[in-house]
Amino acid sequence: MAETILRVQKLKKVYDDRPAVDGISFEVKQGEIFGILGPNGAGKTTTLEMIETMRTIDSGTITVAGLNVAEQPNEVKQVIGVQPQTAAFQDKQKLSEIIEMFAAAYGERVNAKEFLDEVGLGDKANDFAENLSGGQRQRLSIAVALVHSPKVFFLDEPTTGLDPQARRNLWDLIRMVRDKGVTVIMTTHYLDEAELLCDRVAIMDNGKIIALDTPRSLIKQLLKRGFKKEEKVEQANLDDVFIDLTGKGLRD
Amino acid sequence: MKQQLRTVLVFTKLSTRRFFRDRLAQFFAILFPLIFLFVFGSLSKGAGGHATFKIALINQSNTVFARSFTEQIKASKTFKVDKTAVTLGAAKDKMSKNQIDGIIVLPADFGVVQRGQTYPSGQARLLYSQSSTGTGQTLTSVMQGTFDKINSKFVKTQPPLSVKGQVLNEKSLTAFDYTFSGLLGFSIIGLGIFGPVNVFPELKKQGILRRLHTTPLKVWQYFLATMFSQAATGAISIAIQFVVAIKVFDLKVDGNYFEILVFTVLSIFMILGLGLAIGGWAKNERQAAPLSNIVVFPMLFLSGTFFPRFDMPQWLQSITAYLPLTPVIDGLRQLTTEGKHLTDIGPQLGLIAIWFVIIYAIAFRVFKWE
Repeated sequence: MAETILRVQKLKKVYDDRPAVDGISFEVKQGEIFGILGPNGAGKTTTLEMIETMRTIDSGTITVAGLNVAEQPNEVKQVIGVQPQTAAFQDKQKLSEIIEMFAAAYGERVNAKEFLDEVGLGDKANDFAENLSGGQRQRLSIAVALVHSPKVFFLDEPTTGLDPQARRNLWDLIRMVRDKGVTVIMTTHYLDEAELLCDRVAIMDNGKIIALDTPRSLIKQLLKRGFKKEEKVEQANLDDVFIDLTGKGLRD
Repeated sequence: MKQQLRTVLVFTKLSTRRFFRDRLAQFFAILFPLIFLFVFGSLSKGAGGHATFKIALINQSNTVFARSFTEQIKASKTFKVDKTAVTLGAAKDKMSKNQIDGIIVLPADFGVVQRGQTYPSGQARLLYSQSSTGTGQTLTSVMQGTFDKINSKFVKTQPPLSVKGQVLNEKSLTAFDYTFSGLLGFSIIGLGIFGPVNVFPELKKQGILRRLHTTPLKVWQYFLATMFSQAATGAISIAIQFVVAIKVFDLKVDGNYFEILVFTVLSIFMILGLGLAIGGWAKNERQAAPLSNIVVFPMLFLSGTFFPRFDMPQWLQSITAYLPLTPVIDGLRQLTTEGKHLTDIGPQLGLIAIWFVIIYAIAFRVFKWE
């Protein structure tokens, strides 16, 4: 059994008397891809931001790799990589320089080309960030989040706004990151994505976790409760048709 | 600590490099101050040196003396004779439009040698507008002085009382000296305040600062890197202005360039703090723009950028002396054209240091990453 890398206990955040996160507890094991799902306003992003040290914790405790988030925010920052919702970078800055800059922010010196190669941007090392496509920018963003070899990698809705090819490419990248031993914690709106990618998912609503398990066992539980889909289950869907027709090759 | 400073240097290097790729930033940092230098430099150069009077000269006399006097006036540097106003009517019309300072009329009998005398005599008339009696009186005494000189040549007398002007300070300041240090102050404001005030809200909007906040990067590291790269680009901008001022506007630099550089960098650090405080505090452009105007405009008008402070009433001078930009402009002028050294401008350095502490104490407190 892998060891626990993230432990959240009775975490609470209140905005204007309304609990945005209402005393949730969960644990994430090392090497997992853990998904947090839920409708808008469920408290996913607030939860993530508290773990990332970006927001103060009203009550409860979070420990990341044995470090208390509230007490050791700087040490926590060293062991986590954060990919924000929007992958924005300053203009007139080369990709290699962006990698160099973030590495420096962590006090590290890295070979920028290596990191760019890993996400398939090696030949664009001397391009400016503003000339990248949406998918390329997401991949750069992943490279940036990994410059300091973090133990836990957070992604906030990473595939929003990407085309199907770019989405599939990003899934491969996320799996690659996991295969290196990095624990991945992500939020998403796409349930197919969660089903394919995540080892376990937590479903949040109104600041509470209402379900937490592997996607497969959540589906089994639902079927046990006598759930039946109204329409006939097809062997393929439109997504499969699209990929079959246009191919998996990445469009930049 | 060494590691943390290396982080600062990497950020400095990269943001300075970015400046050299960004045409818009270069325009505002270098070309924009140069435009002002040319405009205000030309204006103050025209008015600089000694005073000149624009006059119309109406000679109604045919005497040799009147004609040679006319030529002398035209050759004089003190007078600028309007060539188009040849009749009294035309001259009066010009004066009513304030295009000339006065009219000198040499009547028909001017310069006639009276019977029984060996020298010419006559009385020139000087007409000036009611609205400029000050200029008129100066003009009258200048004319009187000119005639006194001529008189003493005709009538050899030793006047019992006389006055002799003596130049005491050969390095007197010209109008351009004031203009130039003011313009340097203006460009430091442009670099230090408008730079971060425009850039920071945009970086916040795009979440770029927020992303930096997810790293262990500290506010002081980010500030220090911004200070260093602004000082580098600012020094380049100021150096170009010096070159133009020396080559085009005959600026006589009487000072040590190294001391000027040191003072410039300290000034940029202090003024940049205002930009960091405003840009760091503001959530968006709508907050940043009005606040920066409130801070900048009083300094722009009262610190001696475009209007010399010695023209202001005493009470206003004593208040505006404490504005952050005032010691910057005063110090730059003293180091550049008054031959002073850093050791001579303790009050200015002290005031800059005090403002530095106040401004950065505020900037650190109000800084927001998002």
